[in-house]
Amino acid sequence: MPKYEQILFNNMSKAGYTGSLKEYEAVGGYTAFKKVLKEYSSSDVIDIVKKSGLRGRGGAGFPAGLKWSFIPKDHVGPRYLCCNADESEPGTYKDRQLMEFDPHQMLEGMAICCYAIGAQTAYIYIRGEFDLGAEILENAIQEAYKAKLVGKDLFGSGFNLDIYVHRGAGAYICGEETALLESLEGKRGKPRIKPPFPAINGLYQEPTVINNVETLANVPYIINKGPEWFRTIGTEKSPGTKVFSVSGHVKKPGNYELPLGIPLREIIYDVAGGILGDKQLKAVIPGGASAPMMPPDQLDTPMDFDSVAAVGSMLGSAAITVMDEDTCIVWAAMNLMEFFYHESCGQCTPCREGSGWILQILRRIEGGEGRHSDLDQLLELCTRIGGRTVCAFGDAEIGPILSTIKHFRSEYERHIEEKGCPFHPNATLSMAH
Amino acid sequence: MSSRVTLIINGKEVTVEAGTRVIEAAKQAGTEIPHFCYHPKLKPDANCRMCLVEIEKVPKLQTSCSTPVAEGMVVTTESEKVVEAQKGVMAFLLGNHPLDCPECDQGGECQLQDFAHQYGAMTSPFGETKRTFEKTYFGPLIEKEMNRCVSCLRCVRYCDEVIGSNSLGSMNRGAMHEVGAFANHELECEFCGGCIQICPVGALTSRLSMFDYRTWQLNKTDTVCNYCGDGCSLTLETVQEDVKRVSSEAGTGRNTGDLCSRGFFGYSAINHESRLSRPLLRGDGGDLEVTWEWAYQKTVDGLKGIVEAHGAKAVGGIISAQCTNEEVYLFQKLMRETVGTPHIDSGARYGYINAVSALTQVFGTARLTHYEDILASDCLLVFAGEMTETNPITALKVKEAIRQNKAKLITVSPYRSKRETYISHLPHLAHQHLQIRVGTENTAILGLTKAILEKSPASEMPEALLSKVQSAVSNISFSEIETVTGISEQQFVDAGTLFSEAKQGVMIVGRSVLRGNDGYQSMLRIAELAILSGQVGRPGTGILALSKESNAFGAIEMGGTPEFLPGFQETSEAEKGYTVIEMIDAAARGEIKALYLVGENPLRSIPQKKVAAALENLEFLICQDLYSTETTALAHIVLPATSYAEKSGRFTNHEGETQKLRQAIDPLGNAKPDWQIFSTLINKMKTEDKIPYQKLLGHSSVDVVWKEAVMAMPPGWPVLSNEGISAQISSYAADADIRWTLPEPSPQGEGFDLQVGQSLFHAGKMSTYASGLTTLLDSPVLLMNPEDAERLEIEDGELVQLSAEGEQVMVQLPVKASKKIAEGTLFVPEHFSLNVKTLLPLTLDATTGVPYGDHGRVSLSKVRVTA
Ligand SMILES: Cc1cc2nc3c(=O)[nH]c(=O)nc-3n(C[C@H](O)[C@H](O)[C@H](O)COP(=O)(O)O)c2cc1C
Ligand code: SF4
Ligand code: SF4
Ligand code: SF4
Ligand code: FES
Repeated sequence: MPKYEQILFNNMSKAGYTGSLKEYEAVGGYTAFKKVLKEYSSSDVIDIVKKSGLRGRGGAGFPAGLKWSFIPKDHVGPRYLCCNADESEPGTYKDRQLMEFDPHQMLEGMAICCYAIGAQTAYIYIRGEFDLGAEILENAIQEAYKAKLVGKDLFGSGFNLDIYVHRGAGAYICGEETALLESLEGKRGKPRIKPPFPAINGLYQEPTVINNVETLANVPYIINKGPEWFRTIGTEKSPGTKVFSVSGHVKKPGNYELPLGIPLREIIYDVAGGILGDKQLKAVIPGGASAPMMPPDQLDTPMDFDSVAAVGSMLGSAAITVMDEDTCIVWAAMNLMEFFYHESCGQCTPCREGSGWILQILRRIEGGEGRHSDLDQLLELCTRIGGRTVCAFGDAEIGPILSTIKHFRSEYERHIEEKGCPFHPNATLSMAH
Repeated sequence: MSSRVTLIINGKEVTVEAGTRVIEAAKQAGTEIPHFCYHPKLKPDANCRMCLVEIEKVPKLQTSCSTPVAEGMVVTTESEKVVEAQKGVMAFLLGNHPLDCPECDQGGECQLQDFAHQYGAMTSPFGETKRTFEKTYFGPLIEKEMNRCVSCLRCVRYCDEVIGSNSLGSMNRGAMHEVGAFANHELECEFCGGCIQICPVGALTSRLSMFDYRTWQLNKTDTVCNYCGDGCSLTLETVQEDVKRVSSEAGTGRNTGDLCSRGFFGYSAINHESRLSRPLLRGDGGDLEVTWEWAYQKTVDGLKGIVEAHGAKAVGGIISAQCTNEEVYLFQKLMRETVGTPHIDSGARYGYINAVSALTQVFGTARLTHYEDILASDCLLVFAGEMTETNPITALKVKEAIRQNKAKLITVSPYRSKRETYISHLPHLAHQHLQIRVGTENTAILGLTKAILEKSPASEMPEALLSKVQSAVSNISFSEIETVTGISEQQFVDAGTLFSEAKQGVMIVGRSVLRGNDGYQSMLRIAELAILSGQVGRPGTGILALSKESNAFGAIEMGGTPEFLPGFQETSEAEKGYTVIEMIDAAARGEIKALYLVGENPLRSIPQKKVAAALENLEFLICQDLYSTETTALAHIVLPATSYAEKSGRFTNHEGETQKLRQAIDPLGNAKPDWQIFSTLINKMKTEDKIPYQKLLGHSSVDVVWKEAVMAMPPGWPVLSNEGISAQISSYAADADIRWTLPEPSPQGEGFDLQVGQSLFHAGKMSTYASGLTTLLDSPVLLMNPEDAERLEIEDGELVQLSAEGEQVMVQLPVKASKKIAEGTLFVPEHFSLNVKTLLPLTLDATTGVPYGDHGRVSLSKVRVTA
């Protein structure tokens, strides 16, 4: 395994590191925060993060510094930071590791962000199932309060900060930033229409920044080592590292922190040890369930935001799911659709209604009752959803369908012609409401 | 100044207000964009995706319901891309729809039907199984058929954003999304019917008239509700002579299309089986149905006989404050001019007269405040904790001011304000709540006056008045006031400061003041408080007195009380007649021999044994009513009148707004509108000849009566100029005699303070004939604080016995624990529990003779179950 420069996994890779405040401080933890309080104005911090080119690690890759700069400078009243720790995208399990093994790294990033945007209250919206993560964060926050790293008038700077952990209740959609805000406010998690954007009208209608765990965890290092250093890793437009959660038919699944722009082939065959049983590769989901599938001929794509988008998929949360030659693509698409059907918030017509129809058709095809007209029907359903919904979930759910029909149309046709699944001959599937 | 924006819609230039949404701009330009979730009353939610349009330079289609216009914007609503998108949404919405239009009550006025017709495809692309839900109900009145739901959330948003009762919500996700009711609120739902009205499809319909009509058979008549003084515009929808449904078009009327349960579900009182349909003559052998000719003759003979034998002053008349302006005008004319008696009074005597008398006394007019003022104000001082119950739509205006204008609400009321009381209960929303002891409103007004006077300098009060107010409050201490009210000096100072320092403050006064002890004096003090704090005479300020009856204001204005001739022209002391109670007393003494009761049932309104004795003592009792009642049973002659649905006329609501009623259906049986009866009697009383009565109708229509009434108004009516108001204030200042008397503090400890009042689901007596409303409440109940109930180990539904000192009567009622009720107090909605009033002391206002009997001290004991 070649050696890649790591940022976020450095501490936790050391033997015996448990992520306590003492250990974190021993490796230079919270020096960035102290430095910021002492030496920088809030706009200095935003400039540094802007210069670093750090892009959001939650899926959309939006430049973090730019997002922070949208918070109105002259706003009277509270502003908020929400750390998105809802990590529910199938295949994605990187934030969990970051929170459980080195919680202070992300807390320090949050503290710096709050200082930069003038927020005195920050929330961590953590996925409901992450019991351990929530407990670890609670303890870490208590440690930070005791050490006066969080609380009132920090280091005599007059800056106050409170951090709270808020646990979700099991809805994937609550990871969407505006649904997250609704949920945090105690309401049903349903995405808001945008504009207005959260930077103007966010939590409790106040200016709010929402950033992913991984995004925030990078911030202390950018402050300490400088934006130029950060840019030495990764690519010009996607600087830094990325934690890739590799899963599926590979020999060594797991989280790997790698420089952005590393070729997909290298991740699968070098880092993750190749395909299980040395079989042939059939398809890769490069960025979580929402990312369109990539066929083997795209294996040399550099894994950065723009290159993956250029081949028609997206880097998303960088959760790579590898499927070998024995995987039924229709079944895989159906499996993903089960997820989307179950998780659609149901607010807007195309997504609410469309997900159910798509799933029913896929089940029929997989169950051996497909018709040739079904493929056009699926494509039409997808055009009627894509770009016409309140939130990006609508675009996400059609990704697997469109990409599999595009790259693996013949497999659908085989299902229809052979009146059954070549891979799962005994499948009988019907819609169970 | 709001700015204007010019944009292009389908090639046409349109100029609209900045901030207008594209869908509205298109509408102004004559283009309808199909929509489901958009509604002008609601904030945009953009969930249905039906209203997508193309906007130049924007890559994706945009929802026109949520996108504000921008200068130079180029919008296309009919491009191929847009049409494809609309088809797509229609296909999705129809895909799971049961297409059961032939048996849907919404059929014919359903947005899904209409848009499917225009934008849908002929065939469904989906061959899969449809999703199905079981039909369920929201309580006894609302049917929920979720298979028809398009998930537009208009119902949920209306309930949250407009009504503020937050009773509905989304349940489940994705394709299984449905609308559900939140349980565990004390008043989960106000049954305002708003969700039914706003649902674009047949997913929510009324159970009251299920399968009773097809929408296109309905005849629609715009009229005014008769259940309270809010003055809501509503549309009676009828098939032949049956009212099938009530609606109110969004944005219209004083109520802007919102209604309460009484307005929406209360219509079946109109054709109730106990309606009177023929004149009745009481003879020895029982009641005899007679012709109108006969009835008129008997009435005229009877009245003339009494006048000849005992003089005109032996006759008295009392008219309901739910009669129209024209009717009250003609009735007072019949009494004062034709019969010649000064004894005429109306239902306004039961409290509203206190407001009108006092306000005209101080300001020269009672038309001080409109709903627009409430909406414009930034502070509301409300002496009506029960406002949601008594005047739901005015309460909505208060809620809107809080929501839209961030107005501060101060409530003064014996109810609790605790957060856990139900959400639409007004003190729940108060920024400051003065939770006074029962019946101490008057002293609370004193506390506020003293606080404002001592803490913040008086602004615009004339010197003469100021010194009188000052000397009146100076010798009473805050601690004495606290002993009576339970409210501390600091609380008064905080509330007083908040109100007097508000830019625009409105005071709203309800039944607890108007029918509380010393109501007339209280109203004078409130008027002074408004002057003292400078909150009168500008937009967004003033005093609104809430009326329980639909036409209490009009009844007084039309001359229906002894103190005023039409147009609030004061009668002289010498020509002033008797009030309701004085007439009853005079009848008991034998001084009044004949009473003419129009829609009034004193046996129910004044629970005293002497009323029955007085009525029985009469030589001649005429009852003109809708229903047969305990009072009509005593009458010598009973004249059947028509309900508001069967007649035209005018009501004046508590803002002083005069609005038109329009006849929707023919009178029931032989019943006649009151105004026709009066008009005929006036002519018949005057004529010696025996002309057929058909020819006697003096007024060809209500409009002719109205013209005559308007002629009788003083010059300048109905508005009084600001100079006029100032002049009146100065003259009031010169004559005012301001005195405060502190009542005996109510004994604490053993016993309870009992109040009677109104339920949200009823208004007076008529609503008890409406089956829609009686399904919500049809029997007596005693509301009690939950902690008290727990302490006394009383379960919900358990019978308890109430008794009062010195009273022989004992009353048994079932208990219901209610969080809005304060400890040590009890509340009984009056509609079904008349005998409870017999426990309460009855006193009369020293000036206006208003009978007070809404509260008193009682003791409570558990009823022992005997085997
Ligand atoms: C359906 C949906 C689910 C999402 N789930 C997550 C999530 O679990 N975690 C996350 O960080 N971002 C998630 N996002 C992205 C967020 O909306 C948002 O873009 C992100 O939190 C911003 O943080 P970043 O700029 O640091 O990436 C989701 C977006 C969508 C549309
Ligand atoms: S796209 Fe789907 S998940 Fe997003 S708001 Fe619409 S229904 Fe909800
Ligand atoms: S019940 Fe009616 S108003 Fe409510 S969401 Fe369904 S369709 Fe819309
Ligand atoms: S009872 Fe009053 S508030 Fe209700 S609809 Fe009628 S007038 Fe309006
Ligand atoms: S009307 Fe615009 S999205 Fe529903």
